Amino acid sequence: MPHPDAPALPSVPAAFELPVPAEWQRIEFISDLHLQAGEPRTVAAWLDYLTHTTADAVFMLGDLFEVWIGDDVLDDAQSFEARCCERMRAIARHKALFFMQGNRDFLTGPTFAERSGCTWLSDPTAFEFAGQRYLLSHGDALCLDDTDYQRFRAMARTAAWQDAFLRQPIEARRAQARGMRDQSHSHQRAAMVYAELDRQASLDWLQAARATTLIHGHTHRPADHELAPGMRRIVLSDWDLDATPARAQVLRLDRLQGLQRLPWPCPAA
Amino acid sequence: MSNPQVELHITGHGVVTIELDAEKAPKSTENFLSYVNKGHYNNTIFHRVIPGFMVQGGGFEPGMTQKDTAAPIENEAKNGLKNTKYTLAMARTSDPHSASAQFFINVADNGFLNHTAPSAQGWGYAVFGKVVKGTEIVDAIKGVKTGRKGFHDDVPLTDVVIEKAVAL
Repeated sequence: MPHPDAPALPSVPAAFELPVPAEWQRIEFISDLHLQAGEPRTVAAWLDYLTHTTADAVFMLGDLFEVWIGDDVLDDAQSFEARCCERMRAIARHKALFFMQGNRDFLTGPTFAERSGCTWLSDPTAFEFAGQRYLLSHGDALCLDDTDYQRFRAMARTAAWQDAFLRQPIEARRAQARGMRDQSHSHQRAAMVYAELDRQASLDWLQAARATTLIHGHTHRPADHELAPGMRRIVLSDWDLDATPARAQVLRLDRLQGLQRLPWPCPAA
Repeated sequence: MSNPQVELHITGHGVVTIELDAEKAPKSTENFLSYVNKGHYNNTIFHRVIPGFMVQGGGFEPGMTQKDTAAPIENEAKNGLKNTKYTLAMARTSDPHSASAQFFINVADNGFLNHTAPSAQGWGYAVFGKVVKGTEIVDAIKGVKTGRKGFHDDVPLTDVVIEKAVAL
């Protein structure tokens, strides 16, 4: 337990401050789509959403892709990833798209950013909108109970680890990624329950960023949590259009109407 | 009629005895016993171990080959049973009614996993039993060294194998 007078732990990262254009009226957030070739309905819903959203900006907060084995998947113009990037880039011509890495797609790199037309978001990122300050994160870095994962994460976000991993032939990396999935169902999702975000660490992050609302994904447990008076944590839903019932939800932050959760497709307005 | 019991014989660790709640979780109990009786759990591992949270198994053989399962079952999480320490719950994807063979043992009071509403986000994880003997073995399992294997996190570096599961 740190001494009460000790300075903030080095594990509280400095948030990147994102300037928000004054003309933005509406920002929307999605995460945890786990896009993959074997789930075309989820991919279609995502593209439909990006094409038709009335938001000025869409923030994709991690695990957009089920897995990303390296930017060299984009070398093949017909690959699933290349086609997704092509569609994003077309949409990015008239709509601001922002991308934050998650624990599944943390190997996305500069080629992805360029080919997708997305603006890169650090984890965490802070911004101010309509007089309130928000902090955005994928959420995995705050699941402190999972010490094994935190050790891996610290290592896997270093250039040394990533260079070593990416040096493996692409087929070797593909084989490892395939090992994640059930052999009989190429796209079956894993039966996983995620640990909860650490409450004190979430508060520390918010306080360091001078923000009152943390928006994140990762746990696939959408809910609003009051962390302390005036401080809250809002969790995004994952997307799965093959589930019964299907799941696809957008968090909207509107200058006049505040925060709302909306299913996709949305009913009118 | 007393609740059914199952022994998990864990190689190198010992026997964990589970009592299933047939009254409050009849479908999960029947489902679990069906897997036990056809030998599904034999030679499966605890493949995901997170101390302070839960230990999960019943789905993979040593070497992380996933075993085939039968159809998924209805989520019984609104049965009032809570995800307290040493209870067993059905593992599943984010799809509320996707549980089949995998289960986890809570190694802490995980209230955030309880049912709050019959919605995608509120369904929670269905508790269907509890450890009645061998909690010290569960404590030993949660303490094993873990690491990343391929793209799986929190995998015991030395396999924790359920040699056999036996209905009493």
